[in-house]
Amino acid sequence: MSKEEYPLSRGEYNLVKKLANAGVEKGYVEEVSQKHGIEEAQLHSLLLLLQEKGLVKVRREEESIYVTTSKGLQALREGLPEEKLVRLLEKSGGSLVVGKVKEELGPEAGIAIGQARRKGYINIEKGRVILARDPQEILREISELKKALQLASEGGLREAPKELVERGLVTREIIRRTWFEFTTPPRAILDNAVVEVARLSHKLLVSGEWRRVRLKKYDVRAEPPEIYPARKHFLGEFIEMLKDIMKELGFVEVRGPIVDIELFNFDILFQAQDHPAREIHDTLRVKEPKRVPLDEYSSLVERVARVHEKGWGYKWNPEIAARVLLRSQTTAVSARVLARRPEPPIRFFTLGRVYRSDVVDSTHLPEFHQLDGIMGWPGYTFRDLIGILREVAGRLGLELRLKPGYFPFTEPSVEGYVRLPNGKWLELFGAGLFRPEVLEAVGVDYPVGAWGFGVERLAAAFYGVNDIRDLYTRDVEKLRRLPVKIF
Amino acid sequence: MPVLKFPEGRLESLTGLSRRELEDVLFRLKCEVDHLDDGYVEVEVNPDRPDMYVGEGIARAVGGLLGRRRGWSLPRIVDSGLVLYNEGPPTRPYIAAAVVYNVNVTEDYIEELVQFQEKLHDTIGRRRRKAAIGLHDLSKLPSGKLYYKLASYDEEMIPLGHPGERTPLKRALEETSQGRKYGSLSATDNGHPALYSGSDIIAIPPVINSEITRVEPGTRDLFIDVTGTDKATVEKVLDIITTTLAEREGAYLGKVKVIRESVEEATPKLSAKTVFLGKDEPSRILGLPLDSFTISDGLSRMLHNVDVSAGGFKVEAPPFRVDILSSIDLVEDIAIAIGYESIGENKPVVDRQGRLQALTLLARKVRDLAIGLGYTETMQLTLTSPRLLDLTGFTSRVEVENPVQQEYSVLRPSLIPSLLSTLSRNLHARKPVKVFEVGNVVVPGTPPPDEVRLGLAIMDEEVGYEDIQASVYSILRLLNVEFSVEPYKHKVFVEGRAARIISRGTLLGVMGEVNPEVLLALGIDYPVAAAELNLEVIAEWRSKTESP
Repeated sequence: MSKEEYPLSRGEYNLVKKLANAGVEKGYVEEVSQKHGIEEAQLHSLLLLLQEKGLVKVRREEESIYVTTSKGLQALREGLPEEKLVRLLEKSGGSLVVGKVKEELGPEAGIAIGQARRKGYINIEKGRVILARDPQEILREISELKKALQLASEGGLREAPKELVERGLVTREIIRRTWFEFTTPPRAILDNAVVEVARLSHKLLVSGEWRRVRLKKYDVRAEPPEIYPARKHFLGEFIEMLKDIMKELGFVEVRGPIVDIELFNFDILFQAQDHPAREIHDTLRVKEPKRVPLDEYSSLVERVARVHEKGWGYKWNPEIAARVLLRSQTTAVSARVLARRPEPPIRFFTLGRVYRSDVVDSTHLPEFHQLDGIMGWPGYTFRDLIGILREVAGRLGLELRLKPGYFPFTEPSVEGYVRLPNGKWLELFGAGLFRPEVLEAVGVDYPVGAWGFGVERLAAAFYGVNDIRDLYTRDVEKLRRLPVKIF
Repeated sequence: MPVLKFPEGRLESLTGLSRRELEDVLFRLKCEVDHLDDGYVEVEVNPDRPDMYVGEGIARAVGGLLGRRRGWSLPRIVDSGLVLYNEGPPTRPYIAAAVVYNVNVTEDYIEELVQFQEKLHDTIGRRRRKAAIGLHDLSKLPSGKLYYKLASYDEEMIPLGHPGERTPLKRALEETSQGRKYGSLSATDNGHPALYSGSDIIAIPPVINSEITRVEPGTRDLFIDVTGTDKATVEKVLDIITTTLAEREGAYLGKVKVIRESVEEATPKLSAKTVFLGKDEPSRILGLPLDSFTISDGLSRMLHNVDVSAGGFKVEAPPFRVDILSSIDLVEDIAIAIGYESIGENKPVVDRQGRLQALTLLARKVRDLAIGLGYTETMQLTLTSPRLLDLTGFTSRVEVENPVQQEYSVLRPSLIPSLLSTLSRNLHARKPVKVFEVGNVVVPGTPPPDEVRLGLAIMDEEVGYEDIQASVYSILRLLNVEFSVEPYKHKVFVEGRAARIISRGTLLGVMGEVNPEVLLALGIDYPVAAAELNLEVIAEWRSKTESP
């Protein structure tokens, strides 16, 4: 018959050894802890582990006992109020006027007289308190009561005189204790113990002790602690993916100012100066500065004025073009690029923040990202533009449907609808060939196609986010736990 | 985008199409249809087609696209006998007027007419400032002699919707809702423009009409006035309304004689724009070889009159179209007639290398490093609340002049307030909470420039200066940036536990322990350390030090 082994952790082994040496096989955890200098919580948890291994039985016990209250402790120190009264009367020759008793006993006088009278120690006649019995006999009676109080203060009483309870001198308390008892004697356990370690350590390897210990088997199905890695933000990842698609299609990334002037946001783009989109309630402006000088753009300004006056039949106002605003479209960046009259063929894109006068709700933000692409060369056509829209939609895995659209700066204009995973069509792309008026204003003599879309709406659809505000969540746990989306 | 409401079935009965067919054709005409639960449909029309803001206009365009009608011709027009004397009120000098006979207004149609009028006001009329329309029951005009002139504020009228009481103009402007909304558009110190029929005021444009010419179910003929600040727009709006209402069964137009400074004109003008379209222009722009027949077929289905001549097409756009500025607009019409889905595409050829901004590439590397250091990326808006910036001591900032909401009324000049705001919502998250953002800030300037920065923050049971310093040093050294640091004082940081980071004399960033006063003001009861680095400066540094 093979010898039975007891696999123990280092802590368990040390405890069993200590108890075996002390000759402890059973007892209350609290008492053993105190007597043998073992930390109570540690002892408790190790005994529970030993119980799991079938070596110890552990039992919780509850007991109700009476303990002395602070009032009771005061009575023990100074005597009970009626005791004080009896001693006072004894000293005063057996009787005293009530007023004098009050003077001597102070606030306790009431209780003292009440208790003493109830117990028949005194009588009250004509304003005097008079001892009714032999004071020594009374004090003996009182000392019985105090004895019980004393015992309660020392270690608690299972039963207490009713009077002590009623007078609030003792109170009931629940005492919890843990009883343990080895089912296999500690010595026997030690003889057949094998120490197991939970974690291999540098120390064990260096000392060679790893050969003498056993590595504890894991419950490999048990849940590990929950951890999450530091992450990129999902909207940020989506934006970078869009930039990569553009780069792969041969586009060069450009950048323009967030706080721009109307010249680039509207005027170059042939948006009439009295167009409703340019009114104060549609475009966000900054307090300072209201306008900036247009001096550095003088030849551009001249061409823009000519184009507007010819096309819209009004007197173009440079003061309006000089107004500062938070750009409402990244087409403003494309306008800046075109104003530098780049050599064709061109493919540029920009991705940045744009601003709108919108109240925040589940589908609107006052600011969001827009991607804007332009491409062109002599001979560039509307079919080329449709081609790039289909290509981009295709790379995003989206089906595209075209609808004629209207933008002040493009003609023909097209809106691109894409089919979302939920089957709904989302109006995504705005696109078109820049109007001849726009090209004339910037001084470009080849056709240029432009297209753009709002990033957040598409990202929300990609990630199944119903409330667009959730794209900008401040909940870090949510960001940590977001399932990975591979694209 | 103008959105029109029609009773379910109205457009189907005008066009004879099924609901599905109609939706399909309207999509090709830039419109989107949405069926509501209350027995109405909503049609979103593009703002360049005000001629489609009413059922008859939509039906006309649909009929053309389907080839049921082609080109356009003038409706029948007679002399109404009405004469309008225009004294040219200085704030609103132009007026044009016409009669449309046999409109036969019904209960339902009143709603549609008012909608037509309002959508025209909101778009081409620039919210009534540039052009506003008055609709009157012709039979109720007290006199065929009309006058458009300034009326003094004591003169009286009966404002529409307030029957029975003759009211001085002053009160009509102050007390009616239209008066409060539009009363200031054309007011002058000594009076307001008014339209008289005989001696009665029938309208004070662009504010309100008079009760006496009220249009109601049973009104047969309409007298229409359009007033405004731009002559061409006023006349065009009248063209759109009259030609579109003339589409109604049996309807025809009546001219009004308008006399100004003894110059006589008849309105509506019904003026058509003639545009020459080169023979090859559509093919060249669309990238699709098109023959003459296809082009003129398309144009005529978009209701243009086409005259094929040598080298191209002489196109007469109908008087109700406002969006035909030049030949390019005709090319779009041809594309619409062909159908965008039938134009085809040229698959893009990638014959050159794309390129990302150096800053984009740097930001990507920096994000990788921050994540490697255990920071989770967050993203916040650049628009933020002034309170957050006040509490964190960022007083130099760009304010929005016309914010919609107070919480989004300033542009953040630093990422640190955004990160602190994020931390304040994550007091119960697993510690340490380490967050970063690579994002835009906007700083004051002329105009205020934006910068891309990296912000880092750590919140834990215990956090010290060297915790954030270690991250910053690690990132900067891995990026090969030479830098030095010096003590820094700022309300957001604890004095003596904050530093400025300098690179070649340029401020590169700041880092430090966040001031407990700031933390508690934000409701954060854990210590926080934070840093911010300007990636523009690092990108600049690297472009100078890295060999290409």
